[in-house]
Amino acid sequence: MTEQEAITNEESEELRIGAFICECGINIAGAVDCYAVADYISTLPNVVTSVVNKYTCSDAGQAEIKNAIKDMNLNRVLVASCTPKTHEPIFRACVEEAGLNQYLFEFVNIREHCSWIHMWEKEDATRKAKELVRMGVARAALLEPLQSSEVPVTDAALVIGAGVTGMQAAMDIADMEHKVYLVEQGPSIGGKMAQLDKTFPTNDCSICILGPKMVEVARNENIEIMSYSDIVEVDGYVGNFKVKVKHKPRYLNIDECTGCGLCTEVCPVEVPYTEFNEGIGTRKAIYTPFPQAVPLRALVDKSICIDCGACIKACERGAIDMDQKETFSELDVGVIVVAAGYDVYDPEPNNEFGFGLYDNVITTMEFERLINASGPTMGKVVRPSDVKPPKRIGFVQCVGSRDKNSNIYCSSFCCMASLKNAQLLKEKYPDTEVYIMYMDMRTPFRMYEEFYNRARDMGVRFIRGRPAEVTENEDHNIIARIEDTLTNEIVNLELDLMVLSVGAVAPESTETVRQILKVSKAADGFMMEAHPKLKPVDTTLDGIFIGGMTQGPKDIPYSISQGSACAARATKFLAQGKAMTEGITAKVDDDICVGCGVCVPMCPFQALSIEDDKLKILTALCKGCGTCMAACPTGALDQSHFKNEQLLAQVKNVFAYGEV
Amino acid sequence: MAEEGWEPKIVAFCCNWCSYGGADTAGMGRFQQPASTRVIRVMCSGRIDPLHVYNAFLEGADAVLVTGCHIGDCHYVNGNEKTEVKYKFLEEMLQQLGLEPDRLHLNWISASEGERFANFINEVTAKVKELGPSPLKPAGVK
Amino acid sequence: MVNVGDMLVGYATDEDVRKRGASGGLVTAVLAAALEKGLVENVVVMKHINEFEAVPIITDDVDEVLASTGSLHSVPVNLAKYAMGRKVAMPAKPCDAQAVIEQAKRDMIDLDNTYIVGLNCGGSMHPVTTKKMLVAMYDIDPEDVVGEDIEKGKLIFKTKNGEEKAIAIDELEEAGYGRRESCRFCTLKIPVNADLACGNWGVIGDLAGSATFCQVMNDKGVKLLENAIDAGRIKVEPASDKAIAIRAKVNDVMVNLGSTLEEKIFPEIPDEGRIQFYMEQMADCIDCGACKEVCPVCACGEDSKCTMFHSLVDNYKMSMYHMIRLLHLTDSCIACGQCSDVCPSDIPITLLQSRFAIPAQRRREYTPGMNVDDVPPFFEVILK
Repeated sequence: MTEQEAITNEESEELRIGAFICECGINIAGAVDCYAVADYISTLPNVVTSVVNKYTCSDAGQAEIKNAIKDMNLNRVLVASCTPKTHEPIFRACVEEAGLNQYLFEFVNIREHCSWIHMWEKEDATRKAKELVRMGVARAALLEPLQSSEVPVTDAALVIGAGVTGMQAAMDIADMEHKVYLVEQGPSIGGKMAQLDKTFPTNDCSICILGPKMVEVARNENIEIMSYSDIVEVDGYVGNFKVKVKHKPRYLNIDECTGCGLCTEVCPVEVPYTEFNEGIGTRKAIYTPFPQAVPLRALVDKSICIDCGACIKACERGAIDMDQKETFSELDVGVIVVAAGYDVYDPEPNNEFGFGLYDNVITTMEFERLINASGPTMGKVVRPSDVKPPKRIGFVQCVGSRDKNSNIYCSSFCCMASLKNAQLLKEKYPDTEVYIMYMDMRTPFRMYEEFYNRARDMGVRFIRGRPAEVTENEDHNIIARIEDTLTNEIVNLELDLMVLSVGAVAPESTETVRQILKVSKAADGFMMEAHPKLKPVDTTLDGIFIGGMTQGPKDIPYSISQGSACAARATKFLAQGKAMTEGITAKVDDDICVGCGVCVPMCPFQALSIEDDKLKILTALCKGCGTCMAACPTGALDQSHFKNEQLLAQVKNVFAYGEV
Repeated sequence: MAEEGWEPKIVAFCCNWCSYGGADTAGMGRFQQPASTRVIRVMCSGRIDPLHVYNAFLEGADAVLVTGCHIGDCHYVNGNEKTEVKYKFLEEMLQQLGLEPDRLHLNWISASEGERFANFINEVTAKVKELGPSPLKPAGVK
Repeated sequence: MVNVGDMLVGYATDEDVRKRGASGGLVTAVLAAALEKGLVENVVVMKHINEFEAVPIITDDVDEVLASTGSLHSVPVNLAKYAMGRKVAMPAKPCDAQAVIEQAKRDMIDLDNTYIVGLNCGGSMHPVTTKKMLVAMYDIDPEDVVGEDIEKGKLIFKTKNGEEKAIAIDELEEAGYGRRESCRFCTLKIPVNADLACGNWGVIGDLAGSATFCQVMNDKGVKLLENAIDAGRIKVEPASDKAIAIRAKVNDVMVNLGSTLEEKIFPEIPDEGRIQFYMEQMADCIDCGACKEVCPVCACGEDSKCTMFHSLVDNYKMSMYHMIRLLHLTDSCIACGQCSDVCPSDIPITLLQSRFAIPAQRRREYTPGMNVDDVPPFFEVILK
């Protein structure tokens, strides 16, 4: 049947309701006298046929419905049987096949809600069934045809953040032949993983496994990397996002620069700001982020540049442009993946465990840069106070995690990170005493428990307790006073170097992005997924996905999994080329709406806004929850298929004057 | 207070994802209940407007139940939190009006909690039977 | 020059305005200056007809503003809805200012374009009741009244021949006269929610009766005053500590009076009789809808959830219309009394509404109409 014919059917003025009461074998008939119900229902206004089926959902039952629609010109169909949660889609499809809009179908539950719970009260069950169907008839009379709509999807994806998660998501989407814009706020892709030395549980060199991936991303024809760029604005909805990106000036022409490094050599300005090396060592005013950077291009730190012009003279390609301004791009994308990573927890504000007070207390990330062969000390682990190799090193776990005073969540990777660092120390410097001061050792996944055993076998000492007091002596050695809760002894541990195993926190820069996208924030400060079990990488906003650290602290394998998961979820829209939107949505009566706006904050899906003193509903985003209309004081806002008048008709028909 | 053998009429608003499912599960588990409850389905408990509840009372309900998902489990993120806000107003108003508090209930029931749903209905029906017909019930309504 | 928080005493420089003004004509002068210098396009004022009658007008004529000077306790209209959709300055009793702010919360009024000159208020009265009271309790012919004031719990009338008679308000109210009921239990006497809070409390010494105390509440208040000073329309000086203390004391007296009367006005209803009480109160309702029309906090148009249920079938009983109005106003009713004033069936609607609103607002520590950023609790997304 064509849409035109279907609509004509519904436009007939007279309401013609068909009621089908199912016996469901003896499931319903055992307690409910279905014939009595059918008889009663036939007495109600607008009911033209009221029959009993043995099994309405069977082929025979469905055929009967379709025939009745055609033969008796029914424009509303009611089935009283089991729970709509099982067969509503079947019956809706059935009536559609007969030319009736699926939303003109009403389902009444007289099994789970009636016959099965009043198995031995036949009179009561029958009376109740009559009333439930009467309620359904009253609602059916008020139902209206609805269409779910489709929106087209732009065949391009935006991935925000080019750490390991973002890179994985970008590659997966690109490999499925879709265009990807990969926007990274830093001057190089790679994220925090590029800063790590080795990665657990295999102790691979981090940049050695990451580097090739970074090159792959750069070479992929479908991926356009926008490095040193920020997201400024995002408008629109699933399938039709309009994104404004700001490209920060590097003060050189990225197409001419080859990353040769001559400019860095001649630059006379040297400062101890080393973002990549966690503040250890120095860099120049013009510099490349790190040797394996992608794109391998320099950038200028204008805040310290003295405009001497040495780099301009040295550059053989004339790439440097000190007058470069920031530029903007406008992107049209269909889906967005947010993989914007994390910030390392900073123990300085409260000088936790002496950090910031004593030279020889450092964080794990600083440790990673020290032990890294291409780091500021060429891989020699030395202590900050005297640049000598430490003989006694202690790791303190759960700094900034599992802590009522900072973050109560577990950052999930720090136990393994310290175990790894402890192993590396034992390998490089076998004579070093290595201690790990912990509350619990969390080593869940494949090879992780074995990794822990290996550390123990290598002679790493574990003290179950955390320093209650940290002081330093005249030699700048760290004295940590701990209760070893397994031996019940107080230990005064003298260490040459103490490493705080700091957790992860949601980065401030991501907060800006989160607010622009309007993704919810979870209790731990990271972004919130749609459902913690069933939808771990979706958000409540269609077409926007989160993965990696953005969705909470996790390690590299988990992050990569989520990167692929985001890609899969996002590509569904790109592959189908369209997004279906809910048929049951909010509708507003413009004549009654006064534009007071109290409904707008009610919507968790950003579907509502006030424009020109009237409510505007983005139907594509509306999920049909109905919470906005409970707030609307004028009643202008109502929900298709659950309108106030429909609900109230059901309420009214619970009651009757006289016996039923 | 009530005639012998009088059965109350209880209107229960249930959300599609959780409490309606809980009622279904009660049925599947054959947890028997008195035949006094009439379930009205909404997509989210947040859809329930206090005016629906008032209407139920003014049309003759002896008790009204507002049910939905447990806090934190709402299919639409936080619909049930908004329900709670409105419900507090509803509760206070009906109390001020003088309606017995046992005639209005809020309960979060998940789709798997069939027995819990049945127990709830059993308890409420017993309480309401003791209270008798609602003072707001129009004359002659059953 | 002028700062937020300043406590000043001032008066209109125009001698005529100053004399005719309730106490110094400062408010009139500020409103006139706002119009003159283009701070606003219109001013809302009450156009006198006589001591007991006036109509609100929206004018762009400075002379009309100047002519409106003087206080009127017997014209209890709420001015909030006159400010909608305009760049306007207006005088405002505390309840007027509350209503303006509630309308601003619902996007009906733009506070940036609305300058609110608050007026202290001890209460307003019904003109008809007042005239009866003058005869019965004061033995004054209503035609002879030239001015009235409320001070330290006394209602004072001034007559043509210069006489002043004062009777304690509680005495008048015991006898069935005095202020409107909604004013009796009101405890917001100084309009701290307006841009300026003006009145004669705290004006002492030689300035008594010819100057206005003015507290600057916010930046808009600063603008209003500085604008009037630049226009040469007012003179102000800082208020003495003594004046400030006296003003606070008067306010305390009035507020305590309000709290005491609240208990009297809202006698406890025994639990068993509650529903009967409310049903009886609403049994006279003819569903005319006037209470909704005049409610200054209501932002709805003609069609609304409450009026959706207006039907002849529901006349003469408690109905959905009442339930929804009670519900929708529980958090926002400011007890201004407009609804009681217009009810043709003399149902004390304000009192009924307040029985629900007062406990609900107190329980949530929320007062409507004080700050536009306070979200009415009914529209909160999460239970606090």
